[in-house]
Amino acid sequence: MTTFIVRRLLQLPVVLLAISLVIFGMMQFLSPTERAATYAKSEQQAQHLDAIIRQYNLDKGFLVQYGTWLKQVLHGNLGFSKQSHEPVLTTIRKRLPVSAELALYLFFPTLAFGIWMGTMAAIHRDKLIDQIVRVFAIIGWSLPTYVMAIWLLAVLFGQLHCCGIGRVDDAIAVQIAEGKLKTYTGMITLDGILNGRWDVTLSGLKHLVMPVITYTFVASAQIMRVLRSSMLDVLNSDYVRTARAKGLPESVVNIKHARRNAIIPIITIAGLMFAFLLEGSFFIEIIFNFHGLGQWSVPAAVQLDFPAVIGIALLVGFSVSVANLIVDILYGIVDPRISFQ
Amino acid sequence: MSSADALKPRQERWYQSKRFRRFRRNPLAVVGVVILVFFATMALMAPSLTADRLGRACLRDLGLGRSQARAVLHSPLNAHFWRAMFAPPKSCYSIPRVGYSPRPKPPSKKYPMGIASGGYDIFYGIVWGARTSFYIGVLVVGVVMLIATAVGGAAGLFGGWLDNLLMRLVDVVYSIPSLVLAMVFASIFGRGLTKTMIAIALVAWPIYARMLRGNILQVKAQDYISAAHALGAGNLRLFFKHILPNSIGPMIILASLDIGAIVITASTLAFLGLGADVGYADWGQMISFARSWISNPGGEPLKYWFVWFWPSMAIAMFVLGWNLMGDAVRDALDPRSQ
Repeated sequence: MTTFIVRRLLQLPVVLLAISLVIFGMMQFLSPTERAATYAKSEQQAQHLDAIIRQYNLDKGFLVQYGTWLKQVLHGNLGFSKQSHEPVLTTIRKRLPVSAELALYLFFPTLAFGIWMGTMAAIHRDKLIDQIVRVFAIIGWSLPTYVMAIWLLAVLFGQLHCCGIGRVDDAIAVQIAEGKLKTYTGMITLDGILNGRWDVTLSGLKHLVMPVITYTFVASAQIMRVLRSSMLDVLNSDYVRTARAKGLPESVVNIKHARRNAIIPIITIAGLMFAFLLEGSFFIEIIFNFHGLGQWSVPAAVQLDFPAVIGIALLVGFSVSVANLIVDILYGIVDPRISFQ
Repeated sequence: MSSADALKPRQERWYQSKRFRRFRRNPLAVVGVVILVFFATMALMAPSLTADRLGRACLRDLGLGRSQARAVLHSPLNAHFWRAMFAPPKSCYSIPRVGYSPRPKPPSKKYPMGIASGGYDIFYGIVWGARTSFYIGVLVVGVVMLIATAVGGAAGLFGGWLDNLLMRLVDVVYSIPSLVLAMVFASIFGRGLTKTMIAIALVAWPIYARMLRGNILQVKAQDYISAAHALGAGNLRLFFKHILPNSIGPMIILASLDIGAIVITASTLAFLGLGADVGYADWGQMISFARSWISNPGGEPLKYWFVWFWPSMAIAMFVLGWNLMGDAVRDALDPRSQ
């Protein structure tokens, strides 16, 4: 097990290197001047792009350029973002807690709801409940996240004045800006508790209602579908029949025997979902006005702010790779038949 | 009828097959097909449906005057009718503008779905947007399948270092989030529908290629491939006559399930301003017209409901139609889900 984890961790830099190669390769479509802008650390430097072209060999061959760029990155300089007017690393550090908090609050309700729907659908196969769940899921699956978010925004926020947009109520946002609230983690609901300010935490939770509804409706379909089909497989298996023959109550058979085994494929889906949540919540951040990574990187990509794009791609690529590793380890723990050899 | 004829098994037509029957008897599949037929009719009949509201450039390129457009585009006996239906000039895809007021106008008799900010006729955008959506969905999936056949085919057929190299490339592209990558491609290539479609295709192929390669490896191990090889079939003949037809099935199922997702991605890019040119009939872009009227509409958010309601319903229903049909195709073709 340890060797397996170490081997996978050693692969991680290789994957990141490959991702950076792909994106760096795409940058070759741009002219040297445009590329030079991605190296500037400040507004002043951006005025002297010729010097940067010479310094970083941007008019030389691809490998020379890549080597020079890589050296910069290894020294912790991911470049300067035009979008946020500050170094990319600073922006990521500032905005990551916001996105991470959002991702955590989106992940668990979606997972729980998907598992519940999948179980109900499988137990009541081809009955009315199954049909309702399947139609519900396929409608959610067909809705783009931003469309669902806009509908909720118009009806819940616009008409019913519920929940509010942004991360917290305006009054609390002002207090935070004035420094009256100490920042420990950057996650608003957690910081509220650590400061002993329950009103802050409650306000943060209130503002999470619309994002959670949006994402749960849009994303739980996939989990429901996979769980339903894997649970149907398990319900047809011999040991479930044995359990029933022993006279166990139906609920015990369904939950303890069937679902526990059917849930294994869910680990893969859930792991990938968690990794891609950074990306999946981009639109939620944009529409509900959360100052997270998406709200910065999406306009950045539209504006061809390359350092920002490379930074975000490396970050998401990293989280996908780590999530895959965690999924593989969890597999071994949940299902002892899987060996790491 | 002679006895020999009676003994011969009757040739089964595709509509008599068990698979098609299973598809037809699935109520969700029927709903999906009805939705898609509705959108297809709307897309095909777009010139006739919007004959009395075509833009000036479109009329010019069609060679029609405004007064005759209605009569000509409503009569199937006219050559212009067929030309407008199957090869409309590009300018017809631009939504004609009714004034330039930033304030949306509610539905009226002349403009049944209302007018979006900037004077864009919403009904026109919805009707011609259906054409755009079909175009994007079908063409992107087609291109993706071509790329995947080339990459997955080469990897599966030749194996060895080439296989290794191509599959690692697949791994890398797959681990970059697709939306970010599509955004990067789209912003490098610049604005425009074709460029957006290329960006989406460049992002979507890896999963197809990986799947096709796996199936090719399975098929390659079958005895009939060795038999064909022993009979002297060359590599190309083996691939196109024997291997590909027997391994392409799962990829087609994947494609029918994926068209909806591709339309969503394209509309998302358009919503961000990375899609077609401003004013092009594209549902995602039309929703972005509505953005400023949702969160800050001056106290009456639902007053301008028509600005976001029609395009978002159009996208949702269109994708729903494809998903219902894709699901049913999978259920009908996949022997495990009986």
